[in-house]
Amino acid sequence: MLVYSQKSFLIVDDFTDFRTSLRSMLREMGIKDVDTAESGETAIRMCGQKRYDFVLHDFHMGDGRKNGQQVLEDLMLDKLISHEAIFVMITAESSQAVVLSALEHEPDAYLTKPFNRVGLTQRLDKLVQRKTLLKPILQALDRGRPAEVLVACEQLCKKDPRFAPLCLRYRADAMAALNRHEELERFLKAILANRPTPWAYSALGKLLFKRGQASQAKDVYEQAIKAFSMMPGLYDGLAEVLAASGENRRAQHVLEDAVRLSPLAVKRQMLLGKLALGNADFDSASRAYRQAVSQGQNSRFKDPESNLGLAQALIQKNAGNGLDARTRVEINQVLGDVAKEYGEDQGLQVRARLIKATGVAQAGDAETAAKLTEAAMARLETMDQFFSAEAALAVAAQLKQLGQEDAGKNILKNCVEVYGDDNAVMQSIAKLTDDPAILGAGNEAVDLNRQGVRSYQAGQLDEALNLFRKALRLQSKNISIALNTAQALLRMGGENPSAAVLQECRECLAKVAGIPDTDPRYERYRKLRIRAVGS
Amino acid sequence: MMSRDKESGLDFSTVIASTVHDMKNSLAMLMQAHSQWLARLPDGQHQAPEQVVIEHEFVHLNGMLVQLLGLYKLGINQLPMLPDYHDLDDFIGGLLAGYQEILDSRGIVARYEIDEATPLGFFDRELVGSVISNIINNATRYAGHALLVSVREEGEALVISVNDDGTGFPAAMIAQQDQYVQGIEHSTASTGLGLYFAARIAALHERNGVPGRIEIANGGALGGGLFRLYLP
Repeated sequence: MLVYSQKSFLIVDDFTDFRTSLRSMLREMGIKDVDTAESGETAIRMCGQKRYDFVLHDFHMGDGRKNGQQVLEDLMLDKLISHEAIFVMITAESSQAVVLSALEHEPDAYLTKPFNRVGLTQRLDKLVQRKTLLKPILQALDRGRPAEVLVACEQLCKKDPRFAPLCLRYRADAMAALNRHEELERFLKAILANRPTPWAYSALGKLLFKRGQASQAKDVYEQAIKAFSMMPGLYDGLAEVLAASGENRRAQHVLEDAVRLSPLAVKRQMLLGKLALGNADFDSASRAYRQAVSQGQNSRFKDPESNLGLAQALIQKNAGNGLDARTRVEINQVLGDVAKEYGEDQGLQVRARLIKATGVAQAGDAETAAKLTEAAMARLETMDQFFSAEAALAVAAQLKQLGQEDAGKNILKNCVEVYGDDNAVMQSIAKLTDDPAILGAGNEAVDLNRQGVRSYQAGQLDEALNLFRKALRLQSKNISIALNTAQALLRMGGENPSAAVLQECRECLAKVAGIPDTDPRYERYRKLRIRAVGS
Repeated sequence: MMSRDKESGLDFSTVIASTVHDMKNSLAMLMQAHSQWLARLPDGQHQAPEQVVIEHEFVHLNGMLVQLLGLYKLGINQLPMLPDYHDLDDFIGGLLAGYQEILDSRGIVARYEIDEATPLGFFDRELVGSVISNIINNATRYAGHALLVSVREEGEALVISVNDDGTGFPAAMIAQQDQYVQGIEHSTASTGLGLYFAARIAALHERNGVPGRIEIANGGALGGGLFRLYLP
C-alpha cells in the first residue's frame, strides 16, 4: 500500500451514510485530509479554493443537481483540477455511466458500488502508479503545451514500449491541438485498423469534417456507430456532419437516437430542438427544448436560445388553433426567465418580446400583441448590437407576421449589409423576400471585397486597401469588409503604425462593434481591436 | 429474451429487468447497512462464521443480478461495449481484492501471475470484469486451498485463466460445454447461465473477424477446475 497521509481527498455524494462510510475507509488507510461535499456544485466551489489530489464522486447526485459527469466537465474546462489529480467516478451501475459519459472527459476510473477498503486501496494504488508513470505528459498538459506532450509521450514509449498504448490518446489530442492534420489522420487510421475505439473514431470524424471532407466524415461516423452503437457522442458527430450537409431530417433522427441513449445532455437537446424546429417537427422541437431548458438550470451549457426556441416551437405547434392556458403559462415562464436573467442583452429582449407578441396574437389578443410589438420595435431603434444572421431572419419573419412589413424589411436590409458576403445567409434572405433593392444592396461592396482579398493574397497591399475602403464606404457595417480593412491597415502600418492608421482602424472596427460574440469571426475582431487600441 | 404476455400486454423481460435493477439497489443498501452495523460491533464479534456466509452470499447475489441485467441488455442489443487498454495487474488485482475477505475466511490462498511482457490488455473492463468476477466467485466455493488467476499471450489472443485445486467441473459439463455456451443447456442454473454470459461477452470481443471464446477443463497447474477466456 502506498502512503496517502500527505494527500488531500474530496468525497462527493448526496447520501450522508455513504460519505461517512467512505470517509472511515480512508481514515483506516491513514488519510487525514478528507473533505466532503453533498453536491457537485459545492464540490466545484471547494476545488476552486483547494487543490485536491483525489476526488471520489458519486455519479447520481439527485434530480435537478449536476451529476458526476457534469462536475468533471466543469472541473476540467475551468482547470480546477490538475491532470495529475485522480478523479474516480462511483456508480451503482457501471454500464449506465459509460453511456452517459462524454467522450471528451473521461474519469480516471469507474468504481462500482459496493466496494470494500481492500478494493479501494488496490484501485487507488494502481491509479497513482499509472499517473506517476505518465507524470511528464500530465504536467505538459497542465501547462497547456501540446508539443511537450508529444515529446513526453515519445520518451515514455522509448523507455518502456509496453506502455505505449497508454499514450495513444494523449498523442492524438496533441497532434490535433498543433494542427498536424496529415500526421493525425495517418495516426488515427492506424489505430482504427488495429484496435478500434470510440474516441479514435470520433477524433477522425472531427478531423475529416474540419478539413471539409464531410462525406468521408459521415462514413467514419456510420462505421463507428455500427461498432459502438451505445456511444451517444458518435451520434452527435454524425448529426453535426449531416446538418452541415443539409440533411436536416436525418440529422434530427440521429440525434433522437442519441437522446434515447442518453437524455441528460443540454447541448444535444438544444441542437435537437433547433433541427426539429427547422424541420417543422414542433412536437419533437418542444420536447427537446423543454429538456434543454430544465437541464440547463444546473449546467454550464445553459443557453437562452433554448427558452426562445421552446416558446417558438410551442407557438408554431398550435398555429391556427389559439393557445391553451397551460401552453400560455409555459411560454410566459420561459420568456420571463430570459427577461429576468438576460436584461442587459438588447437583442434577446427584442426577440423575446416579439415571440411573446406572436403568441399573444395567436391567442386572440390583438391589442396586447400590438403593444408588445411596438415596445420591441422601440428597443430595436436604440440597439447597437447586431443580431446573428439566424436571429435577424427570425425577427424579420416575425415582424412581417405581426403586420410590421416595413420594420421586417429594415431588418433584412441591415442583415444584407452585415452578412452580405455570406452566400448561405443571402440564400436564406431570398426565401423571405423578392425585393431586388434588398437582395442586391450589397453586391457591389461584396464584389469589391472579393477583389480586395485577391489583391491582398497577391501581396498588393495598396490596391487591396483601396478596394476594401471603397467597399466599406458602401456597406460600413459589413463585418468581413471592416475586419479586412483593419487588417490591411495594420499590415501596412508595420511594427509601429502611425496615429492616423490606428485612428482609421478604430473607426472601421467601431462600426462593427455590434458583432455578436457567437460569430466565428469574433475572436479575429477582438484581436484586431486590441492591436488598434492597445499599441 | 423478449417475451410478451399477449393478454396483459406486459413485456415481461423489461418488467423483470427493472425489478432486478431495484433488487440490485436494494442489495447495495443492505450491504452498506450491514457493514456499518458490523463496524459498531465490539471487537471479537466480527469473525463469526455466519459473517462469512453473509459476505459471500451478498457478493454472489450481486454478481448474479449484474449478470441478469447484462443478459437482458444483450438481448435487446443495448449492452455498451467500450474497449480500451487496461493495466492487467490493476484489473486482476482489483477483482481479487474484492474477494479477499471471503478467500481469507475460507482459508484459500489466491495469487495471480501476469506475463511481464504484456502488462496491458485490450477489452471492456466492466464486461470482462463481471465475467472473471463470477468465475472467481464460483471457484471460491469449489476450491480446496488455492486459486490461481493467470494472464498470458497465446498466439494473437490474451488468455485469462482461473484455476483452482478443487474437484473440478463435472465431466458431463465439460463434455457438453458447447451446449452451455449456446444457452441450450442450463440445468445447473447459476453456473450454466454464468458460462452462457461469459461466452456472449467473449464473443463481443472481436478482432478482424475473430471472436473471443471461453473454454472449461480440469487440470492446470492446480489440478482442479480450469476456466479460460480467450480475447483476440
